Amino acid sequence: LCGSRRNNNMASQGLTYDGCNFFRQRLILSTLSGKRVKIRHVRSKDDNPGLRDFEASFIRLLDKVTNGTRIEINQTGTVLFYQPGLLFGGTIEHECNVQRSVGYYLEALIMLAPFMKNPLRALLKGVTNDQKDPSVDLLKATAIPLMKKFGIDGDGLEIKITKRGMAPGGGGEVLFTCPVRRTIRPVQMTEPGKIKRIRGTAYSVRVSPQMANRIVDSARSILNQFIPDIYIYTDHMKGANSGKSPGFGLTLIAETLNGTFLSAEMVSNPQGQGETILPEDLGRKCAKILLEEVYRGGCVDSANQSLALLYMTLGQQDVSKTLLGPLSPYTIEFLRHIRDFFQIMFKIEVKKPNEEEMKGGNKVLMTCVGAGYTNISKTLK
Amino acid sequence: MEAKVQKKHQRKHSGRKAEKKSRKQNEQESDARKRNPRAFAVQSAVRMARTFHRTQDLKTKKHHIPLVDRTPLEPPPIVVVVVGPPKVGKSTLIRCLIKNFTRQKLSDIRGPVTIVSGKKRRITFIESGSDISSMIDLAKVADLALMLIDASFGFEMETFEFLNICQVHGFPRIMGVLTHLDSFKNNKVLSKTKKRLKHRFWTEVYQGAKLFYLSGMVYGEYQTQEVKNLGRFISVMKFRPLVWQTSHPYVLADRMEDLTDPETIRQDPKCDRTVSLYGYLRGTYMKNKSQVHIPGVGDFAVGDLSFLPDPCPLPETLKKRALNEKERLLYAPMAGVGGVVYDKDAVYIDMPGGHVKQQDNAGPTTELVQSLIGTHATLDSKMAASKVSLFSGTAALSQDDQPTESHVWDPKTHRERRKAVFTGEEEEDDHDDDDDDEEEEEEEEDEEYNEEDENEVEIEKTDPPMKRLKLEQRKEMEETPAFADSDDELEKSEDDEEDEEERGTGNGDSGHCSEDNDDDYGSEEAESGTEDDDNKEISDMEEDVASGTNGQRSKASSGQEEEDEEEEDQSYSTAGSLRWKEGLAEKAAEVFLRQQRAAPNLRKLVYGTVVEEEEEEGEEDEEVGGLFRVSRPEKGKRRRADGLDCSRFEPDDSHDWEQEEMLASIRDCFVTGKWEGNTDAATLLKEDDEIYGDFEDLETGEVHKGGSDLDHEDEEEPQVKVDDTEAQKNKRLEKKKRLKERFDAEYDDGDATYFDDLKEEMHKQAELNRAEFEDVDDETRVQYEGFRPGMYVRLEIPSLPCEFVTNFDPHYPIILGGLGGSEGNVGYLQMRLKKHRWHSKILKTRDPLILSLGWRRFQTIPMYHIEDHNGRHRLLKYTPEHMHCGASIWGPITPQGTGFLAVQSVSGTQANFRIAATGVVLDLDKSVTIVKKLKLIGYPCKIFKNTSFVQGMFNSVLEVAKFEGASVRTVSGIKGQIKKALRTPAGAFRATFEDRLLMSDIVFLRSWYPVTVPRLYNPVTSLLLPAGQKDTWTGMRTVGQLKHDLGIRNQPNQDSLYKPVVRQPRKFNKLHIPKELQKALPFKSKPKQTQPKARTPRDLQRPAVIREPHERKVAALLSALSTVYNHKKKASRVKQHTAHKEFLKQKDRAEEEKMRRLKDVKKKMYQLMGQKEKKKQKSSLKAEGA
Repeated sequence: LCGSRRNNNMASQGLTYDGCNFFRQRLILSTLSGKRVKIRHVRSKDDNPGLRDFEASFIRLLDKVTNGTRIEINQTGTVLFYQPGLLFGGTIEHECNVQRSVGYYLEALIMLAPFMKNPLRALLKGVTNDQKDPSVDLLKATAIPLMKKFGIDGDGLEIKITKRGMAPGGGGEVLFTCPVRRTIRPVQMTEPGKIKRIRGTAYSVRVSPQMANRIVDSARSILNQFIPDIYIYTDHMKGANSGKSPGFGLTLIAETLNGTFLSAEMVSNPQGQGETILPEDLGRKCAKILLEEVYRGGCVDSANQSLALLYMTLGQQDVSKTLLGPLSPYTIEFLRHIRDFFQIMFKIEVKKPNEEEMKGGNKVLMTCVGAGYTNISKTLK
Repeated sequence: MEAKVQKKHQRKHSGRKAEKKSRKQNEQESDARKRNPRAFAVQSAVRMARTFHRTQDLKTKKHHIPLVDRTPLEPPPIVVVVVGPPKVGKSTLIRCLIKNFTRQKLSDIRGPVTIVSGKKRRITFIESGSDISSMIDLAKVADLALMLIDASFGFEMETFEFLNICQVHGFPRIMGVLTHLDSFKNNKVLSKTKKRLKHRFWTEVYQGAKLFYLSGMVYGEYQTQEVKNLGRFISVMKFRPLVWQTSHPYVLADRMEDLTDPETIRQDPKCDRTVSLYGYLRGTYMKNKSQVHIPGVGDFAVGDLSFLPDPCPLPETLKKRALNEKERLLYAPMAGVGGVVYDKDAVYIDMPGGHVKQQDNAGPTTELVQSLIGTHATLDSKMAASKVSLFSGTAALSQDDQPTESHVWDPKTHRERRKAVFTGEEEEDDHDDDDDDEEEEEEEEDEEYNEEDENEVEIEKTDPPMKRLKLEQRKEMEETPAFADSDDELEKSEDDEEDEEERGTGNGDSGHCSEDNDDDYGSEEAESGTEDDDNKEISDMEEDVASGTNGQRSKASSGQEEEDEEEEDQSYSTAGSLRWKEGLAEKAAEVFLRQQRAAPNLRKLVYGTVVEEEEEEGEEDEEVGGLFRVSRPEKGKRRRADGLDCSRFEPDDSHDWEQEEMLASIRDCFVTGKWEGNTDAATLLKEDDEIYGDFEDLETGEVHKGGSDLDHEDEEEPQVKVDDTEAQKNKRLEKKKRLKERFDAEYDDGDATYFDDLKEEMHKQAELNRAEFEDVDDETRVQYEGFRPGMYVRLEIPSLPCEFVTNFDPHYPIILGGLGGSEGNVGYLQMRLKKHRWHSKILKTRDPLILSLGWRRFQTIPMYHIEDHNGRHRLLKYTPEHMHCGASIWGPITPQGTGFLAVQSVSGTQANFRIAATGVVLDLDKSVTIVKKLKLIGYPCKIFKNTSFVQGMFNSVLEVAKFEGASVRTVSGIKGQIKKALRTPAGAFRATFEDRLLMSDIVFLRSWYPVTVPRLYNPVTSLLLPAGQKDTWTGMRTVGQLKHDLGIRNQPNQDSLYKPVVRQPRKFNKLHIPKELQKALPFKSKPKQTQPKARTPRDLQRPAVIREPHERKVAALLSALSTVYNHKKKASRVKQHTAHKEFLKQKDRAEEEKMRRLKDVKKKMYQLMGQKEKKKQKSSLKAEGA
């Protein structure tokens, strides 16, 4: 029979992409959907072709949390083949590359963590705050409450910063624990609610502890025009907990009545790179970024848009709705990838605020029917 | 006749009659509880608590976990599977049921038969063969199984097998049907048999399961009334959702067409075929480009999925109770019924040409076709309504373009098909062309045979104007790209307006890409040319979003900046700032337009144009071979491809947060800002005032009125009177509603349980699911949701093995089971398995087994194991007899909790129960952790005190080195540890033990050796076998079968054979304790010399006393006296005792009497005292009153 020979390999398809942009999205969605992926022409025209160290580190991290993953990289590192295994989870420890902050890795882990076989307990070491990626503080303040809305809660869900490490030296340590879930709940987040309070963390390591206080004062000076309930914690880590490089920064979180968290952050330039920034300027700028974020609005802040969309996609076969601010380019690409991997398209509607209301810019209402995804890794006892 | 005007009945409102009536009504209304409250009073709190507890228990028992109701509005036909052993009357029953529902006779039942049974229900009947493969496949898709049982014979194995299959794959509704009841001559025997069978059936299904009796045959058919009853039962039956079915899309194919190019087939008859399969989509949403498994064939990726107009639709109007003749539709293409079938690119008119002559007078099938042809106009309109392009690439058809027939001989189904071919269409349907010429004569013959038929065809021939009209419409529609029909149509209409507007203003505005986009789609000529531009613009848009910066804007004058920002909010495009200088009205209009258009634009921005992309994909598909490529705009592709992978969304530089206007634009995002009408504190307070404002102070008697009300009335009254009353009425209504809401919220919430809340939540979700895409048209809807169940779909599957087509047999079901995300992969599955208690043999590890899991049937090699107390999975050689055990296989990834069943072979029929085991999937993994116990044996070669040299366990120093420190044991139970390897002999080592060994001891090392699970996944490809041999599939044989087939006898190791054990009775020597030791021992432990007691020596023996006669007399007298005395004493004591008792009783009585008297006295006294008190009080009151 000529049919039987083919039937032994199953019909699972693969996808091919060019270039290393949106590298994480592709690997994450590949892992969740079980479709293999091939990424070609990774910086093939670059002077220094192939995958960078931080990407290699990311692949290693994926390898740690999965079982049976097959990764093939060619000699120059310009072609990557990734055949996903099953998400395993458990206790892992990972030395994140200092080229990117822990946020780069943590974002991916947050997306994968609820679908593991065992509850994840990941100790990530590296740079906790830098200027490229969302910092760990920001994820702690925004991603965790967002996950809770999707039914991923319980006492196991936590991001804990035990050591803070600034770029470029790193030396920070973050503990991320997450319980596993079989299914994700559909959500209807269409009403962001009004901001009731603003919280924040001003941190400084290996510089004068006064820096944090100066940041706080300057940030408050701007935000006080809107709301009196502002409290910004100062967090000055010392000794072994302070990492290898000096720096300071601010993370601001605006919480609404409906439990939406909008965030903004700003970090000082890494040591030896760029001009030194005054803490007052940093505070003011960060406050303005928060105002920008409020202006964009939505029920999910701009850093977590893709996370929310992913969980909506992976929900049960019900309609989920979320009101977002303007879609970031990363999110737009993520939507395309979701369609590639899960064949799910979102209904995208623009919601314009009323004329007389002063609630910032246009919002986007995202609607989708979930893929009916269930956590196939979780053991049945 | 004039209607007589009757006096209307006038009800009495007062008087005796009215009173009487009202009294009567009152009596009736008040329930027993009210009428007789005492009867319902609480007698015992405990009993009440118990009854309450019990009712609550019963209530909770009925609860199920609430699920979101996902049943589609127009559900697919329910699948009724008719099963039973051969010759039990399955086909006859289906035929009778079809006749009952549609008044049509179907001679040969092949494949599924779909009929309309009622206003809201359609049924698909399918007959299951008695081979286990068909039974397994159909049990997975059945909504209702009709189990036919030959009452004259009793239950057969097939029945029980099917029941067990059902149990594993989710239990569909099951109805038993007893046939052959006319073979019983004796009524008593008949009723007894019925009862026996019924009870057995009940134990198997559930108590009270419906069992039908078909008492006898009349002219080869079952009795009409009985069939009618059965049909009624089927058409009102309710179904429960089954987990597997509701979580997977599936199609029970009722039609199959081979689309392969005939030239390729001619060149290579064994080439892979492209086949389109048709059927109703069931279960859940199916996505395009998904994977399906066809049981009996294998896994395939769906090349193209599209929906077609329903061939067997439910009646449109629901006015009458019963269906009329036209609405009783029957659709069974495989059985040669169904008449006109329209496909994506062709119309098929099925005419059973070979049978035309015989069926001329009776033939119901041709009748149907004729009726369908006769109602061509409706079909046409239906086709027009459905947006499926019938003829791709239609050129302008002239008036005399009439359909000609081409006959196609279908070798599979042995019937001739008349295919309507349009001359313009010939290029596409070239494979039909070949046959055209040869069969034209036949066609003529046909027409001779069937005059009626010809007439009908002629009607069709006169039809063209209508058709042409429709075609033109289609052409128009096709000119706009098919992407999201609704959106584009919407845009088109908008475009017209837009165009006009633009002409009016004369504003080119190249920067406004969304408009340009629309223009492109609106104008057909430019479409291909501007496609690149399009892409560019999309990319532009993207960049804008990406960078958030805008050169133009930054240059824009500060006066316009505010407007500019607003504009940017409305769309993500670069709008020329000039535009904003125009009039306000225009601006508003545009804002409105843009708002309307924003959605499709955003969608385009995100997803690109779907149809075009898919076409590109199609082209690429051939090159890359099924690999998907992301089509991205050319410009800047390289740059973006290697860009920084970062989720951060940089803020827009153009927003200057120093400015007051900017700050003001987000004021209302904070609690300190302005609130909406319904949540604003001020308005809420006012409302409260309205509701609760009116009150009367009881103490002071002051009446407060809601201040607002007063104000409003005062203000509004003089102005508009008529409006006011209306407004007031509305206001009052609203007020009432609000009050009611509050009341409800206060009182209902307390009563709502967790279960109710959950149910409510699910209900809300279900409603949202229904409502969300209700008003979107199907073309767009399928892109968002996927194809929803209930649609009639066409699945094109490329590269099916040729045997599927050449050996096609419609008697075997073709099921396309959709696979979920990872279900297309293979891995290790860990399952819980139990050998079926009716299967005669236990199962052996590594014997291949055929599993039915998920949609699949496949052969695999299971390894049985059991979990030890420490979590170790220990390999078992055989399955335990009456216990669950674990099984690990290499197989398709299937969600945990899915049931499976195992059979040892699917070929032929065996005498025994075929289902070998059942179980459930527990865990999926990419590695296994089964271990096998391995005992390494060694012998001591030299023994020191507690140290011994052991040899024979290992072969080299290296091996020993690996096991250094491992614990060893002797058979006698002396534990030890491996220390170090010896130089000679090789593999010997030094080991220490807790005691000295003997040379006869055997030392063993217990270790666990990981076992690998063989990677065999062999799908049962039974559908590919030639017709008639489909139930003879054999896969890998077991070792036992191989040996049996090849005549190899087992040569056992002589040592392994059992020999009778001869044991000498063991003799133990006497225990000897040295004398010295004996002395030292305490008495307790000293060996006891137990000698018989010696006789008392004579001198110690006492002599007996012998009395004198006188002495004897005295002694006798004394004893007699003492006896008498004792007796007397005893009697007197008894007497005294009774007397004392009597005395006590008397005393008690006296006491009682005394107490009673005292009580009476007291009572009297208290009475007196009470009276006195009362008097006193009265007098004092009087005194006070006075």
